Amino acid sequence: MSKDNIKKIILNKEKVMSAAPIIGLVLVMLAFAVLTEGKSISKVNLKVLTNQFIMTALVAIGMVYCFACGALDMSAGGSLCLSAICGALAGVKTGSLAVMIVVVIIVAMLIALVKGLLAAYLTLPVFIVTIILGSLLSAIGLVLLGDETTLSVRYIVKIKDLTAINLIFIIGFFLVAMIIFNYTKVGKACKLQGGNPLASGQSGIDEKKIIIMSFLMSGAGIALAAIITILKTKTVTAASGGSIGNDVLVAIVLGGMPLTGGPKSKISAGIIGAATITILNNGLSLCNVSNDMIQIVRGIIFIFVVFITSMTYRTKLLPR
Amino acid sequence: MKNNKEILFEAKELCKNFGSTAALKHVNLTVYRGEVRGLIGENGSGKSTISSIAAGMQPATSGEMYFKGQPHKPATMIDGAKAGFGMIVQEMGTIPGITIAQNIFLGQENLFKKHGFISLKDMYKEAKKALDAIGFTDCDPKMYIDALNMQDRKLVEIAKVMYNKPEVLVVDETTTALSQKGRDIIYKLIKQMKEENKAVLFISHDLDETMKHCDTLTVLRDGELVTTLEKSEFEPGKVKSCMVGREIGEHYYREDKICTYDKEVVIRVENVTTGRGLTENVSFELHKGEILGIGGLSHCGMHELGRAIFGEEPIVTGKVTYAPTGEEIVNARIAMKHEMGYVSKNRDIEALVLTASIRDNIIGAGFDKVSNHGIITPKSEKEYVGKQVEVLRIKCAGIDQAVKFLSGGNKQKVVFGKWIGRGTKILILDCPTRGVDIGVKAAMYEIMVQMKAEGKSILIISEEMAELIGMCDRLLIMKDGVISGELKRDDGLDEKAVIENMI
Repeated sequence: MSKDNIKKIILNKEKVMSAAPIIGLVLVMLAFAVLTEGKSISKVNLKVLTNQFIMTALVAIGMVYCFACGALDMSAGGSLCLSAICGALAGVKTGSLAVMIVVVIIVAMLIALVKGLLAAYLTLPVFIVTIILGSLLSAIGLVLLGDETTLSVRYIVKIKDLTAINLIFIIGFFLVAMIIFNYTKVGKACKLQGGNPLASGQSGIDEKKIIIMSFLMSGAGIALAAIITILKTKTVTAASGGSIGNDVLVAIVLGGMPLTGGPKSKISAGIIGAATITILNNGLSLCNVSNDMIQIVRGIIFIFVVFITSMTYRTKLLPR
Repeated sequence: MKNNKEILFEAKELCKNFGSTAALKHVNLTVYRGEVRGLIGENGSGKSTISSIAAGMQPATSGEMYFKGQPHKPATMIDGAKAGFGMIVQEMGTIPGITIAQNIFLGQENLFKKHGFISLKDMYKEAKKALDAIGFTDCDPKMYIDALNMQDRKLVEIAKVMYNKPEVLVVDETTTALSQKGRDIIYKLIKQMKEENKAVLFISHDLDETMKHCDTLTVLRDGELVTTLEKSEFEPGKVKSCMVGREIGEHYYREDKICTYDKEVVIRVENVTTGRGLTENVSFELHKGEILGIGGLSHCGMHELGRAIFGEEPIVTGKVTYAPTGEEIVNARIAMKHEMGYVSKNRDIEALVLTASIRDNIIGAGFDKVSNHGIITPKSEKEYVGKQVEVLRIKCAGIDQAVKFLSGGNKQKVVFGKWIGRGTKILILDCPTRGVDIGVKAAMYEIMVQMKAEGKSILIISEEMAELIGMCDRLLIMKDGVISGELKRDDGLDEKAVIENMI
């Protein structure tokens, strides 16, 4: 075999590996189309799907930054919940949609800044800090809500068709996130830092600054998702945001990104993974699988994907 | 002589491909009992590849191996060790966070199983025996491995390998990381292996050392076996030209014997004591156009000092300043603002992101040089990185190849590329030629001479006396954290004078 041929085979292998998440997405899509006898691709269902997908994708795209730096943020659900509640409270008080949106953004970014500072200056694993922080944020939301369990913003939000806003948010955020991630210092530094913080520090990359920036990017995603939540449901409860933290974690892995972050991170993982996990959740419930069962199935898929993606690392680690 | 010797290990038509690169091309190697075989060649010539295949660290792409007359196909290093192949690797082979004894018996804990529990007492006792056996007696196996320095960790690894009583011992580029004490231990083991009618595969870039301790030398070049030389044929010039495939000229180090540099001071180090207490009250000045050397034994504090000058090691007292502006250098960013660069001794751990590509690693230190209004285009990246690959002649499949697949010398070239690319004017080099072959070494020295000629400054920290003597204008000798002597190029530097200052 000539050298060129070998090179081609290797390149092809890499292409197949990078195409795996898309193949997974298509397979999941086809499988549920067959299993639900076409129900999953009916017009009504697709609309439901789109809404769920956009929420997950917005958070996941921003979260790729944190993951890339090696910071696993587990508090996305709590952050989304608290910013939505604060925004809704301000909206109800002033009766203004604009005020509501501005407050959502400010609160989400403030939470992100706090998380960034904690991750940068506290020498604790971000993973653990944010698990605790997530419950803390939801609890604060609950206290703010007080006796009311559901806060309705129906009379402020008069937008009926969200399609345009959805599209602008998702396409706009995806493009901005992708450009910053691939074509600027911040994104490139994120990936190097996730790969080897010591070496990136000695190359003049400011570790603290980069980690705070990555949390701010993920905060922007959470803010956009919180706005969509309010506009769509027109109500806010302490359960808003709910399982999004877990969905995003699974989405990013299904999207083909290593959990350890580093140079192989990519923004597309957020969007592809969000599509896969949304179709999976939706398809399972269309098949009349109970909510608890869905959790189990998702757990198994998650472990399976982590196992497959980490296999390559492990063989290299042995037996030194 | 060979005819009446028993064959211990044999490789036939061995090939190994890493992706599109062929690391080994149909190599035939026969090792006899009682033989110390040296494997030499430039970086990427296949020395480590062939020995690691034999030890089970990675499989061959094709070809056969025989060990003690039986087919030999170890699936893992544990398999290889069981068969009788012991390997001391180039980089760190110990695991942090556990004790010395646990490191020695990693994977063999069952030896000490008593009623379902591991007896730590027995393990410590055996570990002590294993350490004593190699002559590393002042070591408590109960200690955590993290308390040991790099050299002592290596000795623990050697004890681990020797405990399994290997029939073939592979020493892969280990001695360069060790001081004389560590080297002596290895030399003794080599001798012992020979006396016991076993065999040693010895890999080292230090030609003098190799010629002294080996019976035969096998020269590899670009994955092919060039020749095998008997002891009677050992002659430095001949071996070198076999290695590189051409005659090596005389100018390897600097040719002039005069100490020349500008009066202007660029870096001022004042009374620096580093956080871990490894240097005390160190003061000196680095001038424009000067190659300043710092030499000493491995633990004299010089490596910490190098990091401290670049702002990446905590300082308790004193300060490092960029002399022209007087600004204190407290982190890598301030250092880089003043066009400083730093090449770490721990290449894989501190200087490179191994999973990232050559492109990302080189660009990592040069974002400010390639970005245009904050945007870095693939085109400007390619230009910037491509130029370094070309200038430094980095052997690679392309700039998007991950650096972990490069050989040691090429990895080091990538690190140099990071700093040369951004036009660094003050370069701090910590053991820049560790684990690189003479071809790459010569290239690095050439760069240093050129930088000096351009009026740039270099601080070189090294454990290799010949290199310091060959390159430096001034040489500072460090001992136990303090500067114990200063020698000038004019004074006619020689090893004797240097060693007198060191010990």
